[in-house]
Amino acid sequence: MRLLTKTTLYFLAVIVPLLSLSAFYLFNKFSKEINNRSDQELVSDETEWIRYLETALENGTSFSLKTPEIVIVPTSAALTEYPRIENTYGHDAKGNETIPYRQLSQVVSINDEPYQITIRQSQKQKAALVKDITNIVLLVFMVLFAATVIFNWVISKNIWAPFRRSLNKIRAAELQKMEALHFEKTGTREFNELNESLNFMTSKIYRDYVNMKEFTENAAHEMQTPIAVAQSKMELLLQDSNLTEEQIQSVLQASDVLNRLGKLSQSLLLLAKIENNQYTTIETVNLTDVTKKYLQLFNEFITEKQLNIQTEFNEDFEVKLHPFLADSLITNLLGNAIKYNYQGGTISIGTSANSYTISNTSLQKPISKEKLFSRMQSSKDQDEASNGLGLAIVKKIVDANNMCISYVSEIGSHRFSIEAKSVQILRWKIQDN
Amino acid sequence: MKILIIEDEKALQESIVKYLEHQGFVCEAVNDFLKGKAKVAEFVYDCIVVDIGLPYGSGLNIVKELKYMESKAGIIIISAKNALEDKLNGLDLGADDYLAKPFYLSELTARINAILRRRKFEGSKVIQFNEIKLEAEGQWITVSDKRIDLTDKEYKLLEYFIANQHRLLTKTAIAEHIWGDEYVHVSNYDFIYTHIKNLRKKLIDARCEDYIKTVYNAGYRFTDR
Repeated sequence: MRLLTKTTLYFLAVIVPLLSLSAFYLFNKFSKEINNRSDQELVSDETEWIRYLETALENGTSFSLKTPEIVIVPTSAALTEYPRIENTYGHDAKGNETIPYRQLSQVVSINDEPYQITIRQSQKQKAALVKDITNIVLLVFMVLFAATVIFNWVISKNIWAPFRRSLNKIRAAELQKMEALHFEKTGTREFNELNESLNFMTSKIYRDYVNMKEFTENAAHEMQTPIAVAQSKMELLLQDSNLTEEQIQSVLQASDVLNRLGKLSQSLLLLAKIENNQYTTIETVNLTDVTKKYLQLFNEFITEKQLNIQTEFNEDFEVKLHPFLADSLITNLLGNAIKYNYQGGTISIGTSANSYTISNTSLQKPISKEKLFSRMQSSKDQDEASNGLGLAIVKKIVDANNMCISYVSEIGSHRFSIEAKSVQILRWKIQDN
Repeated sequence: MKILIIEDEKALQESIVKYLEHQGFVCEAVNDFLKGKAKVAEFVYDCIVVDIGLPYGSGLNIVKELKYMESKAGIIIISAKNALEDKLNGLDLGADDYLAKPFYLSELTARINAILRRRKFEGSKVIQFNEIKLEAEGQWITVSDKRIDLTDKEYKLLEYFIANQHRLLTKTAIAEHIWGDEYVHVSNYDFIYTHIKNLRKKLIDARCEDYIKTVYNAGYRFTDR
């Protein structure tokens, strides 16, 4: 729920009881006023009637009057000292509507004869009063509500604008470009505090990011020379003819591990560089062609494993991608499809103008979602010659170049699909609609 | 054949020198930019192996210097930075090859041989090992003047063996030479066995002596000793 909606709701929650209370109060006040006025009129009416009757009945005749409004009849009841005034309901003159009445009743003595006097006055206006007050209160409420809505709209347009701007900036923020991110001063203290904190935070994040990136790069670089030294010493040692077979094996194992270590740090370096956007290009590369090239290059392995290659190159899949990364992408995907396949298995590759799909049969278990593209996870227990960075590199390349990759595993087969991002966004939009 | 090695890491420099001398090269080695620059200005080498990251200057400037002098020497850049730009820069400047650290000494030797062959034997592009002669142009060799056709891989393999004759070559080193780095994506290195078996068979069928010795569980040695 939006903040303004929330405050509006709170505002309404307070204003509705308040308005009801004031309506109630107003009604009571007016009702009392009307009663008072009726009472006075009733009393003065009564006085007039008594005065009139006292003169008219001097000769001792008895008098009786019965109208809907006034009833004056002789009675045998005891006299009452004060008139009793109360609210009653009764039919109006036409007799088809029940309306409230203010009624005065008293037993008075006129020329020593007790008379019951009942005078009543219609209070139809009172019903109208309720309606009027309700109308007025509703009107006030509507005006207030409308004012609040307009006010909120203005507030949201103007006062919250800096907040929106900051929010949009955060949303669009990218780690590599965070240095350029700046949240400027606004006219509002709270937003200034927020923006200052954001500035502090982004610059810290960027510094940490740069430090880490430099560390990765330096570590990988610095590692290569010592590895090269150790590697060369192993190679020289192997040439020693006095070595026993056991010793040769030890040296060989050490040498192979060193080789892997070298590859590992090269892969890490590659990842760091892709993250660092060091492979930017304006040229497009045709992944269909790259695939054809590597199918040729890997032909020997494909033949050896008696793999069945099914290609469906409907259209050329062209993307803006550095040729080096294109090679890396395809060798990793195609390499995996060959390596994790079984003898006589199948690899299917399909391309269209904006998607690339490669699937292969395999006895490997499906890769779990969390581990799929994470570093050094995916194939830890599968093959010691692989460093588990292959798919991480694939993911990085794809992410850094406006594409996205998805993985589906069916029984005995693994499928990777790459799509140009523009297509993916379009698809989301269609789904949203 | 005279080789100059410009490498600041002493231990690596020694390894390179030792291995190359074993293969019959005459080596000189220096460990910084200034000494390297002085050497190339003063002497003539057949091939220069130069590191990029050197004390007092970049190895790339030595490449520039050599090109400015119109030197005939072959140039191989070795660098810890496997950076594409460095590689392309180096090759653009006129270096013949680029090798990222860590590398196999046998690989470096093979590359040096390839460069020397391109540069030196422009008239007669032939490599010879006893009765075996490698023809540079086609994918064929002669054994005692009898022509044998080899596949691309077998030819590469033989060339590599001859460049590193008498040395124990590991399967990994061989696989990486034949296939480059990409083979790790695809398979382990057992597949080289097939190529070696085929090559050996072709040579023996041509009544060539069996120079390819299997070192059990380790690799191969190409030798007549």
